[in-house]
Amino acid sequence: MKPVIQLGRYIPAHTIIHRLDPRIKFILTMEMITVLCLGKTFLLFALTAVLIIFAAALARISLFSLIQTILPIFGIVSFTVGVNIFFIEGKTVLWQWRFLRISQEGLYFAAFICSRIMLLVTASSLMTFTTAPIELTDGLEYLLRPLNRLGFPAGAFAMTLNIALRFIPILQEETQKIMQAQIARGASFGTGGLFKRAKAFIPIIIPLFISALQRAEDLALAMEARCYHAGKARTRMHPLCCSRSDIHIFTVCNAVFVFLMWMDSRFAY
Amino acid sequence: MNTTKKIILAGLFAALSAIGAFIKVPIPVLPFTLQLLFTTLAGLILGGKLGAISVFCYIIIGLLGFPVFTNGGGPAYVLQPTFGYLAGFCAGAFATGKIARAVPNPSLKRLLAATFTGLAIVYALGIAYYWFIYQFYIGSPLGFWTLFLYCFLLAIPGDIVLCIVTAVIGKRLIPIVSYSN
Repeated sequence: MKPVIQLGRYIPAHTIIHRLDPRIKFILTMEMITVLCLGKTFLLFALTAVLIIFAAALARISLFSLIQTILPIFGIVSFTVGVNIFFIEGKTVLWQWRFLRISQEGLYFAAFICSRIMLLVTASSLMTFTTAPIELTDGLEYLLRPLNRLGFPAGAFAMTLNIALRFIPILQEETQKIMQAQIARGASFGTGGLFKRAKAFIPIIIPLFISALQRAEDLALAMEARCYHAGKARTRMHPLCCSRSDIHIFTVCNAVFVFLMWMDSRFAY
Repeated sequence: MNTTKKIILAGLFAALSAIGAFIKVPIPVLPFTLQLLFTTLAGLILGGKLGAISVFCYIIIGLLGFPVFTNGGGPAYVLQPTFGYLAGFCAGAFATGKIARAVPNPSLKRLLAATFTGLAIVYALGIAYYWFIYQFYIGSPLGFWTLFLYCFLLAIPGDIVLCIVTAVIGKRLIPIVSYSN
């Protein structure tokens, strides 16, 4: 298990974007994604890219770390581009070799899909870069609160997310320790047939689960000792508050999104 | 089981699913991850409802932007053709748990039936979503054989093995868990 999951994508700083209420950041991100999904022109993509870079500059996030977020999806992007370039039937054929054919339309469409996916990823990573995990789950809980009436336990749900986020690094370290311990005892993961290789993971998974369940037991005891009750209204260490400047930013951003959609419909062909 | 413990266990299995996505079984051509194993175990050990909730939490964590999926994370992941498999994990965990925990002490045969039902659901949703995204979002319809090859034939051998291994692990873990409750 070589790549360690980088949950610490949050880059703490004191900027206007970091201070923005997580609920508003969440809604704005969703709106931006909708705009990108509905967009039909390169003009819209270019303007959104400018907007994203402007927001990143405000949040003092380097362009380099924004580009880094695109790297993991490089495989799927290049696959999509490949499929589109070669298999879209177009009128203007630029290059042909047996059944492979590149047309102008295919090239255009591939570039279009590619830029849309890359913008979607950078737009959403902007939120995780500037919002602490606890703020994110708090914001989500608040936004889901109307569902309480339908019987959806928003508070318990946010708590589950927090616990999962807290457990991920701990369990990851545990897995690595168990793996090394078993390797020291002579376990090998890269030999034998398919079935043997999969079976080699049983001596890792059983201890992992047993220690994880023990941790769950301890945590349950600790939480109950501190009088945690699911479903009861709780107070917060840092209550969310939506200031006047947050409302202003929200209004301005919405106006920009409406303008972008108008431009897009105007120049679509 | 009280609610506090349920919340913790759901969170724990969501975290385990995230870790499963990063443990790769080294197979020369197509290395596969243990993700399916962990999500199916969530169903087997926690039961249908709680298992599905924990996998749902895992998906939400990924969609919130934490890179817990095999290719990162973020809301845009919904548009990836492989997202259907993730949704399938949730439905699959539910079916697996319902079948396996219908009796207090399930036999290995029942566990195998449960894991394979879960697998069928994962693939059904996964392939349907893959087709849907290519048809309507990316806009280049895939032929039946391409779809069959990419979404089924290349991945199924590893997953069948994982299902058997999951049932074996479940057989050993279920008594431990029911004892500790």
